[in-house]
Amino acid sequence: MRIIHEGEGKCTAEDLAEAWSSSATFAFVARKSNVDTAWLERALASLPAALRHRHFCLLTSGTTGMPKLVVGARTRAEALARVLHEAQDGEPVEESIGMLPLAYSYAFVNQWLWARVHQRRLVTTPGLRAPGEALGALERARAATLCLVPSQLPLLFRHCTARTFPRVIRLHFAGGRFPEERLDDVRRVFPEARIYNNYGCAEAMPRLCVRVAEVGSSGRAGDVGRPLPGVELAASASAELSFRSPYRAVAQIDADGLHAFEDDEWLPTGDLAEQAPGGRWEIAGRADEVFKRYGEKVSVPSVLAAVGQVYRGEVGHHRDEDRGGEDGYVLVLCPAPSSVEVTTILHALRKTFARSQWPLRIESVDVMPVLPNGKPDTRALARARRAIRVTHWDQRV
Amino acid sequence: MTNHQKLEQLFLDVFLIEPSEYRLDLRRSEVDTWDSLGVVSLGVGIEETFGYHPTPAEARALASVPDVIALLESRGIGFDG
Repeated sequence: MRIIHEGEGKCTAEDLAEAWSSSATFAFVARKSNVDTAWLERALASLPAALRHRHFCLLTSGTTGMPKLVVGARTRAEALARVLHEAQDGEPVEESIGMLPLAYSYAFVNQWLWARVHQRRLVTTPGLRAPGEALGALERARAATLCLVPSQLPLLFRHCTARTFPRVIRLHFAGGRFPEERLDDVRRVFPEARIYNNYGCAEAMPRLCVRVAEVGSSGRAGDVGRPLPGVELAASASAELSFRSPYRAVAQIDADGLHAFEDDEWLPTGDLAEQAPGGRWEIAGRADEVFKRYGEKVSVPSVLAAVGQVYRGEVGHHRDEDRGGEDGYVLVLCPAPSSVEVTTILHALRKTFARSQWPLRIESVDVMPVLPNGKPDTRALARARRAIRVTHWDQRV
Repeated sequence: MTNHQKLEQLFLDVFLIEPSEYRLDLRRSEVDTWDSLGVVSLGVGIEETFGYHPTPAEARALASVPDVIALLESRGIGFDG
């Protein structure tokens, strides 16, 4: 079974087009995937006959640290690309500019597959690894759509300064908390773009909800809007969000082997959420980012949102315990904040959160480690012990 | 830096108060962040800053800046001048 490594051999987009047109199931993996090729080959070899044709496989970013191969059906993914076209008013768009790895399910479906299904031009760039090339593509854009992850914004703003890109008319965010607090800056750089909050997960392949960020809309980063047509969401008594979708993956392969999803199976998103009036859904954060500390609920995404309002750099976190062994988390900034910035952040924390919700420490790193999909790598931050982290403030608990 | 200045800095850092909020007669009841975790945080901060580790009972009994100064003075840490 064919494995396509992004960025190797001839043009990735051509390789993908060829693989998509042929019957055999293929796997598409990121250029810098840290997954062992032997594991990948074994995983593909375990696919049953029914999944060896007309399917495709993507690796998830592995926030759990364990590789997981998600198997999608091409007909389902193409159906989702058509639904997204309607939900995101894609008809005026002439081209799709890629600034994310295409092997990321978000970019794969929202950009590569959407462009293929709707016969639009796909412009690939190295992303912010080569900002001159990427921003040049945005300047030359023709009625373009662009997909970003929120963690790209600090670097993008640093390179843009006074530049604007009015030819980007659709701008999508996914892969992290929607950057509600940065929308004014985003609109300055992309003055003609309609901005969308895309919510989903790899198993959804990948989209569940789409919300357009209107000026004066809810203003809540966790508001993901209503489910796409055909998608069902449900939250358990403990707020764990599950979904059913006609577009979702059909199977996954992880350390436990292959798990084929049943048609009526509810799949966990890994997020905590609740339904708001009017059928909208509010995401509180990843289940492992919302926890109890001394009996009080701590929502790390809420803290990151508050910090993002007063600090313009990259913001990550990792989990740790305090001196008493109670769960907590550490805020990690990049670049190193000034003492004035630290004070401003601390006062913002005091204003909004109880002490039990404050970080155990505020640290900085010279370079924020990121996953292939651009999100801060919380596991790498936790592993990067004191040697490369500078502590700016310690709660002393 | 005098011990008074060190104590003021410790209060700003532990309770996240503004310099304008700090007073020599500041009381726990006036500081919303001087809660049970704040007691722990102040105790650790006192040890880090002044080298004396208050017992849990001593830390819980602290109810004002004068209380902290009195505790430290009783352990030979001077606040004159």
